[in-house]
Amino acid sequence: MAVTNKTAASNFTPAGRSSSKTPGKILGIVFINLVLWIFSLTCIFPLVWMGYSSLKEKRTFNADIVGFPKEPNLVNYQRILTNPDYHLAESMMNSVRTTMISIILIVLCSFIVGYILSRVHFKLNRPLYLMFLMGMLIPIHSLLVPIYVVFTNTGISDKWFTLLFPYVSFGLPMGIFLVEGYVKGIPVSLEEAAAIDGSSFSYTLWHIIMPLCRPILVTVAIIQIFSCWNEFSFALVLIKNVHLQTVPLALTQFKGQFASDYPKQMAAMLITMAPIVILYFMFNGQIIKGMVAGAVKG
Amino acid sequence: MLEAIKPSKKTIFLYLLFPITAFVFTVFFPLLAAIFYSFFEWKNGPTKTFNGIANYIQLFHDATFWKAFGNNIYLVVACLVGQIGIAFILVLFVNSKLAVTKGIHRTFGFFPSTISAVCVGMIWSMVYHNQYGILNWFLKSIGHPELCKVWLNDTANIMLYVSIPLIWQYIGYYMVILFSAIAGIDQQIFESAEIDGANALQTAIHITLPMIRNTMLVCITLCIAGNMKAFDNIYTMTKGGPGTASMVMAMYGYKISFEQFNMGYGSAISVGIFVLSLLVIGGSQGLIKKATKRMED
Repeated sequence: MAVTNKTAASNFTPAGRSSSKTPGKILGIVFINLVLWIFSLTCIFPLVWMGYSSLKEKRTFNADIVGFPKEPNLVNYQRILTNPDYHLAESMMNSVRTTMISIILIVLCSFIVGYILSRVHFKLNRPLYLMFLMGMLIPIHSLLVPIYVVFTNTGISDKWFTLLFPYVSFGLPMGIFLVEGYVKGIPVSLEEAAAIDGSSFSYTLWHIIMPLCRPILVTVAIIQIFSCWNEFSFALVLIKNVHLQTVPLALTQFKGQFASDYPKQMAAMLITMAPIVILYFMFNGQIIKGMVAGAVKG
Repeated sequence: MLEAIKPSKKTIFLYLLFPITAFVFTVFFPLLAAIFYSFFEWKNGPTKTFNGIANYIQLFHDATFWKAFGNNIYLVVACLVGQIGIAFILVLFVNSKLAVTKGIHRTFGFFPSTISAVCVGMIWSMVYHNQYGILNWFLKSIGHPELCKVWLNDTANIMLYVSIPLIWQYIGYYMVILFSAIAGIDQQIFESAEIDGANALQTAIHITLPMIRNTMLVCITLCIAGNMKAFDNIYTMTKGGPGTASMVMAMYGYKISFEQFNMGYGSAISVGIFVLSLLVIGGSQGLIKKATKRMED
């Protein structure tokens, strides 16, 4: 990564200049690193704490909430996953399906709309651009009630595909602007050359431009995976059928059901967080870069 | 614009049909519907009675709604100071020559912002729990059991306690954004500042801050927009309670619409949230632009 190289290089020079370590400087080193480590550890502590506490039973947890389990066991996991009343496995499947379809639709639609808005001249180009820009400014939580009303009246609330509408629609504006900005950086001569060779609009779109846009499409997908998987408020309002619940919804019910059984709650949370946590620790470099790009450019 | 290939109107129409229909149907149509229904008395039954601007008059005099708005503003201010302020200080620490193991702070620090607000709310409910919570355990183990309390029942300070999880979750997020902005500054500027004898604080205020002004503005906007729509955390931790002490606008709209089934008034609240959020976001943008312009002069 260019960023780290740069800072590493700049570290090198001044350190070489002042090689003597005064007590004040040592104190500074200790202080700064201590503060940073305390911060980092609070960020990761809940995960670790939940990890080993979920291996305890309620009784042993209540006796000592921070101690390591003396007889670690997977009873909590076993109970959660095998008891059909908890719907946790089912809600995982619902979340996976909703997230995957949403991501595919968001990436495809952002790509198509972003490209067309960036390159094709037609009458509605600017109005459409402004419409999606406005979509980004609209405080989406003011839509909770109205979307419920409209979806109930049109009979599409509480279906397996219901959540795709809000997730795709709210994900689109940022995706469109990321793609639009990215396409601007691709030379038009490329498409002109393709046209001379007889490539149609669609062929150019899918076979020439799309491969070039891969980095930005990956960024769009990364941002949306997290927001779709974690989305709660629209799921709460639109989904009433327990068999269609997504993960965050199932968790809040779980919390109500097992208010005092923390190890069980922790096990449930860890199961639902697992895909995200694994994804994060495998690709955190790219994920962080993508999220930052999305925040700053979008 | 592309001149060589002019796709036919039909091609463009077909490509844009689905995204635009879905978008208009889920974003603009409901918004218009909310405005329409806000003029009706409607308790989610089959009967709707037109009652003019009665809902808006009620909204204007609704102490709970304005309290919720005030709580949103509280969250905005707390998070501006807590998230961006702390993030900026930590980034300066990470960037200083004295810090070792820089990468790990980025990976660990960013982690909370990737998990759902529901999980964060549940984790912090566990931290605050009076019997099995970490916080009371900690107070007992350092010998101050008298400080223990039922944290989330403390009406007077509840907003502080619900804003801490929010702040905690996103410090790392803003840290990473600010970090990448600072990494983009020409390192020679820092070196010459050091040669000129500027100390760390002076460098931070007079060089780093002005150089990353645009990124700072993005962070502030994100932070304001994010906290105007606070809902998930509050729902998981307190549901707006005790009483209405931690009520925020989205939570109030939810309660009126889905617990009292007062859809007409709920629609009016939605319109209220819409207008107030835009005003706060727009107003703060204007203020910041004015302030930074004065800085330049």
